[in-house]
Amino acid sequence: MTDFPSDALILGGNRIPFARAGGPYAGISNQDMLTAALDGLVARFGLQGEKLGEIAGGAVLKLAGDLNLTRESALSTPLDPRTPTIDMSRACATSLETVVHLSNRIQLGQIDSGIACGVDSASDSPIEVTPRLRRILHRAFAAKTGMQRVKALSAIRPADLAPVPPRNGEPRTGLSMGEHQALTATQWAITRQAQDELALASHQKLAAAYDAGFFDDLVTGYRGLSRDQNLRPDSTLEKLGTLKPVFGVKSPQVEEPTMTAGNSTPLSDGASSVLMGSAEWADRHGLTPLARVVDARNAAVDFAHGDEGLLMAPAYAVPELLDAQGLTLQDLDFYEIHEAFASTVLSTLAAWESDEFCRTRLGRGGALGSIDRSKLNVAGSSLAAGHPFAATGGRLVATLSKLLHERARETGRVQRGLISVCAAAGQGTAVLLESVTD
Amino acid sequence: MQTGSEVTPGEQMKDLSDVPSFPAIYAAALDPRSSGRRGSKEPVLPSIGYRVRQVRIDAERARDFDHLMGGPATDLVHPGVLHVLAFPVSLALMARRDFPFALLGLVHLRNQVLQHRPVRVGELVDVECRVRDLQPHRKGRTFEAVSTILGEDGEIIATDVSTYLAKGGDSGNGEPSAESSDGARTSAGGDSASARSSRSTRRAFEAPRPTGRWKLGADTGRRYAAVAGDVNPIHLSALSAKAFGFPRAIAHGMYTASRAFTESRVDLSRPLRWDVTFDAPVTLPGTVLLAYEERGTHGVHCVGWRAGSGDKGPRRCFEVEVTTLG
Repeated sequence: MTDFPSDALILGGNRIPFARAGGPYAGISNQDMLTAALDGLVARFGLQGEKLGEIAGGAVLKLAGDLNLTRESALSTPLDPRTPTIDMSRACATSLETVVHLSNRIQLGQIDSGIACGVDSASDSPIEVTPRLRRILHRAFAAKTGMQRVKALSAIRPADLAPVPPRNGEPRTGLSMGEHQALTATQWAITRQAQDELALASHQKLAAAYDAGFFDDLVTGYRGLSRDQNLRPDSTLEKLGTLKPVFGVKSPQVEEPTMTAGNSTPLSDGASSVLMGSAEWADRHGLTPLARVVDARNAAVDFAHGDEGLLMAPAYAVPELLDAQGLTLQDLDFYEIHEAFASTVLSTLAAWESDEFCRTRLGRGGALGSIDRSKLNVAGSSLAAGHPFAATGGRLVATLSKLLHERARETGRVQRGLISVCAAAGQGTAVLLESVTD
Repeated sequence: MQTGSEVTPGEQMKDLSDVPSFPAIYAAALDPRSSGRRGSKEPVLPSIGYRVRQVRIDAERARDFDHLMGGPATDLVHPGVLHVLAFPVSLALMARRDFPFALLGLVHLRNQVLQHRPVRVGELVDVECRVRDLQPHRKGRTFEAVSTILGEDGEIIATDVSTYLAKGGDSGNGEPSAESSDGARTSAGGDSASARSSRSTRRAFEAPRPTGRWKLGADTGRRYAAVAGDVNPIHLSALSAKAFGFPRAIAHGMYTASRAFTESRVDLSRPLRWDVTFDAPVTLPGTVLLAYEERGTHGVHCVGWRAGSGDKGPRRCFEVEVTTLG
C-alpha cells in the first residue's frame, strides 16, 4: 500500500434524529437540517471559530436554489466563515462519498481537517414546472417585443401548468427502486420471512443501542425529536407479517411479492455529519481518533437492460476493495450494509455466497462465502433509522467508527469494518475503516 | 440595564391568562374614548406589571421567524422570537386607560436585549412586562417598556428593554435628555415614527461602504405581521399607513433589527447582548444598504441606511450591535 503523508481519521460525528416524511421536519428545509447537524458537531467538539480544511456535503433531492447548500449551511454555524465547502452527489452514497473525498484530501496532505455531511428532505423535495412550460417561459423572457411575448405565452396549455414532483424511479427503466429490487429479490429467492427478520433485527438493535446510550454522543435532538421517528422497538415478526407487499405487485416476473413497508426504508428527512482530520490536527485539538479510512472502491452495474440488479453494485465494489487490501470477506469485524431494503442486504450476501455469481460475475475461483451475521449492522440500520438519502453515509461512518473504537479498546486488537451503500442508477460505494486506539 | 424581575414594594402584578391578541389591543387603542383619559397633568406611568405564565415557545412560529429573517430554523430561539412573544403583553399594558400616552403615536427609539442563556423551541417561559423610567426629552418624553423572560424555575433568561418616545406635550422641566444631546439618535424615529423629518441639528450621516443590500417589497410589513402577529397598520400597507399620517408603509423596526441579528451569524448557544437604535424609518417598498463589521471575536456591528438621492444625503435607519458574552 502506498504511504500517504497522513492518515485520514474519523474523530466523531453528529446527526439529527431521522424523521419520516411529513413528520416533525415538515416545513423544515435541507439547509435547516444540515445547519442543525453541523451546529451540533461544532458544539460537541468545540469548533467555534475554527477554520477547517473543507466541508463536503450534499443532498440528493436538491432545490435549484440550493446550489451552494453546504456553503450556505456552514455560514450559519459558528465555524470560521473562511472554511471552504463543496457540494457533491452520488445519490444514496453521497455522504459516504464526502467522507472518501475528505479522506483523500487529508491523506494527500492537501487539508488537515474537514467535515463530511449530507442531508435530505422528502418532505420538502423540489417540485418543478413541466419541461414544456419551462421552455415557453424562457422564450417569453427572451422575447424582444410585447407581441412576441404574448405569442410565446399563448402556447401554454392547462396541462403544462401541472407541477412536476421529483421522479420516483429510474428514468431508463420507468421502474421504481422498489420494483427493481423486487426483481432482484425474486432472482435470489429471498423469502419474506428472511426480510422481516432482518427488519425486526434492525429495529431491535437500534433500540438497544439507543437504550445503551450509544447514540448519546452521535445524535443531537431537533424539533422535539430525540430518537429516529421510524424506530419501532416493540415491533414483532407477527406485526411485520401482517403488512401487504407494496413492491413487485405489478411485475409479471415476481410471482410472490415479498417487499412491504416494514422491510423497506420509508421516505425520510434528516442530516448527518462526520468530523475528520489528520493525527496531528486531532492531537492539536485534543480529540481522540476513532478510526481511520483505509480504502474505498466504487462499482456500477448495467441494470438498464437487466444485466444486473439495480442495487447490486456493492456486491462488486466490496470484493474489489477487499482484494486491494489483501483481505477476505471473513477478515472483517463489523459489516455495515445499508438497508435500502431488507432484500438488498440479503441479495448481496446471497451473491457472495454463490459460487456461480462469484465465478461468472466477479471472475473469481469461487464464492466469497458467508459472513457472521452477528457482526452485521450491529447498532441497527436504515430499516429502523430511516433513510434520508444523502444523510445515510454519514450515519454509517460515525456509527461504525465508534463501534470499531469501542471494540478495539475492549479487545486490544485492531478492528476492521466495512461499509457498503447501494445508490440509484446502479452504483455502489464500499469503504473500509480500521480502528484507531491511543 | 436592570435585570431584576422581583416585584418591587408597591408594585402590582396582574396575571393575564394568555398572551393578548394584537388586533384587540390596537382596536382598543383606536377607540375614541381612550383618548379622553389623558389629562393635562403631569404624566405618570402605571406601576402595575403584566405577567403571563407558562407560555410555550412555539416551534413552528420560531421556524417561520427564522425563515423570514433568512436564517436556518434552529432549535435555539432567535431573541426576536422572545421579543414578539412579550410584545403584545407590554402593548396591553401600554393600552391601559391609565397609561399616559397614545399607543399609536409612540416612536421606538431603542431596543436592548440581554440574554443570559439559550432558549430552546418548545420551552415554557413566563413573561413579565413593566414600564419605567419616564424621562423628559426634547421632543416629548421617553420611557422604557421592560419585558423579562423567565424560565420554569424562575431564573431570568432574558431582559428586553424597548425605549419609546411619546411626542409632544409638555416635556417636563424642559431639560435636554441624554438622547437629545446626541442629535443623531432622536431624528424622526424608526418603528412608529412620524414620517416628517425633524429639523433637529442632526449630524450628517456618512455612509460607510455597504456590504449588503435589502430590497424590501411592499409586503414586508404584512409578511412580518403574519409571523410576529403585530398588525400595527403603519406597517401593513400604504393605505393603512396613510390613515396614520405616513405617506407609505414602513418596515417594522424589529423586522430590520431581527434580520440584522440573523445576518450577524451569532452563536446562539452563548449569552448575548443585542442592542438596536432606530433612526429614519425604512419606507416600503424600499432598498436598505447595510454595512456589517466584525468587532473583535465577540461582536458584530451593523448599520443600515437609505441611499441619498439628489441633494438629499443618505439617512441612517438603524444600528445593530450583537455581542456574545463569556
